[in-house]
Amino acid sequence: MPASPFAVEAHDLAKTFRSGWLRRRETPALRGASLQVERGAIFGLLGPNGAGKTTLLSILATLLLPDRGSATILGHDVVREAFAIRRRLNMASGNASFVWSLRPAEVLAFYGRLYGLHGRTLRARVAELLDRFELTPHLKTEYNELSTGLKQRLALAKALLNRPEVLFLDEPTLGLDPDVSIRIRAQIAELRRREGTTIILTTHYMREADELCDRIAFIKGGRILAEGSPDELKRQIRIGDVVALRLDPAAPAGLADLAGVLQVQARGDRIDCTVDSAEKRLSEILRWLVEQNVVIRDCQVREPELEEVFVELAR
Amino acid sequence: MSWRAEPIAAGVGAAEWWMEEWVRLSAFAYRNLIMARRNVFFLFELTFWPGVAMVSHGLLTRFLDLTPQMTAFILVGTIALSAVQVCQLDVAYAVLFDIWSKSMKHQFLTPVRIHHLALGSWVVGVGRGVIVWALMALIGGRAFGFDFLGAGGMRVALFLLGCFLTALVIGLLVCALVLLWGTRAETSAWAAVNFFVMLSGIYYPVSVLPGWVQTISAGIPLTYFLDGIRAGYGFPPRFAHPFAIGFALSLLYAVLAHWALAAAVTRSRRTGLLLKLSE
Repeated sequence: MPASPFAVEAHDLAKTFRSGWLRRRETPALRGASLQVERGAIFGLLGPNGAGKTTLLSILATLLLPDRGSATILGHDVVREAFAIRRRLNMASGNASFVWSLRPAEVLAFYGRLYGLHGRTLRARVAELLDRFELTPHLKTEYNELSTGLKQRLALAKALLNRPEVLFLDEPTLGLDPDVSIRIRAQIAELRRREGTTIILTTHYMREADELCDRIAFIKGGRILAEGSPDELKRQIRIGDVVALRLDPAAPAGLADLAGVLQVQARGDRIDCTVDSAEKRLSEILRWLVEQNVVIRDCQVREPELEEVFVELAR
Repeated sequence: MSWRAEPIAAGVGAAEWWMEEWVRLSAFAYRNLIMARRNVFFLFELTFWPGVAMVSHGLLTRFLDLTPQMTAFILVGTIALSAVQVCQLDVAYAVLFDIWSKSMKHQFLTPVRIHHLALGSWVVGVGRGVIVWALMALIGGRAFGFDFLGAGGMRVALFLLGCFLTALVIGLLVCALVLLWGTRAETSAWAAVNFFVMLSGIYYPVSVLPGWVQTISAGIPLTYFLDGIRAGYGFPPRFAHPFAIGFALSLLYAVLAHWALAAAVTRSRRTGLLLKLSE
């Protein structure tokens, strides 16, 4: 049987958390989520807090059992064949934490052993990862005393110990300085390029998703609302194009009434005019402005940011 | 995580499989040893509390003007409690370290089994338990004239092994409780041992306990190990073949505790507690 082109396949996954003894509370976290991720792709899971991203990731990582539905990683069922999967996947979280007294090399050696690495192989892998994530100068520092950025780099290093074929990254740049975030994003992209790792990442940073992901799924209320490449999503959501203008005099009355104009936002002499299609409406807008004796000092057309798509979907 | 041993995968030789088993098991020993070296409370567990227990109980035996035989009866109990306590804590640390550091999910994300976790940490517990025993035997001997080896070398070895097996069972049960009820069950790590030793006749013969409690005592392996070693100091044994019964019960409970922990892990994957303990 030929290998499936998908590294990750999930069908109709549902999970409800139950708590309380006397007053039973039920919190549905996933309500039938399905997705397919091609081998070697970077797949983004976006959504507001409590949307079900981490729950979905945890089920796929065999840390959580679904109430309903099925999922396979590299052809193995996440419930029945969890042990076989665990050899081939790994995970790093934005708020990762390790045992406080261990030093970076010891953290890696401990988890490396749990993956069955030993002897020279283990020592070489630990040294390679410490070097790659620039942790070598901090060999004598205990985990508790590492900075947030170093902890995050150690979490990523730990996630690569077993050379995972599938890697889950849960908010990998959460709370990091911009320069550290940029380096971590570069390392994620490099990982896919060099080792062909399939990566599923959750993030709140739209720029990160736009830059890294081949495909993105928007999840809200435990359901996947939209899925596609970043460009497809921007078109699919139909929130229009933005014509950014600098005019003199600023904000002429009547612009918002033109056909195809969805929204006009003025900031000083600058106007963001959202239209259904820039290709169709740009010439009409410019002609109308000239007729109104308005001087056009600057005109740019841009697609909506992924952030705007996110806001639209999260509404 | 299942309790079953992993089948040897195609292409993986038996030698390599055994090596991986050993390496996974050694991971927990490696971590416990580092933690023991770096944290001062481990030193207290190893020296301070056992030392205090031995000295205070030794002084009590002097105050009560007990015979050397009765002194041995009491101090054997003191040593048993400390050795079991220290050893079971090491087993419980396999889970407690991850709870305290909120790193539980990383451990269970790896292809690790219950027996790796249990045996790896137990090995360190046995080592620490032997140190505790040696220290207490030394204090008992020098300060109170108590000859722990007077019961016979083989009997002492069997007794200590029995204590450590009891510790393994209690440690696994503590791990299971923590994975069922989270940090609320954490205190069981310290409380559980005291409860079991109280029922197994730690400073008194089980015959002084109420009848129905004696029935419970008869189900605790430590009861038999204490009975077995005290026979070496001249006390008539209450049970025939106490060590054999103690080991049989210990092995049975070890299997059951192993199963209970595996079931607790599965339940925590269902309830989401495994993730909550990592947040």
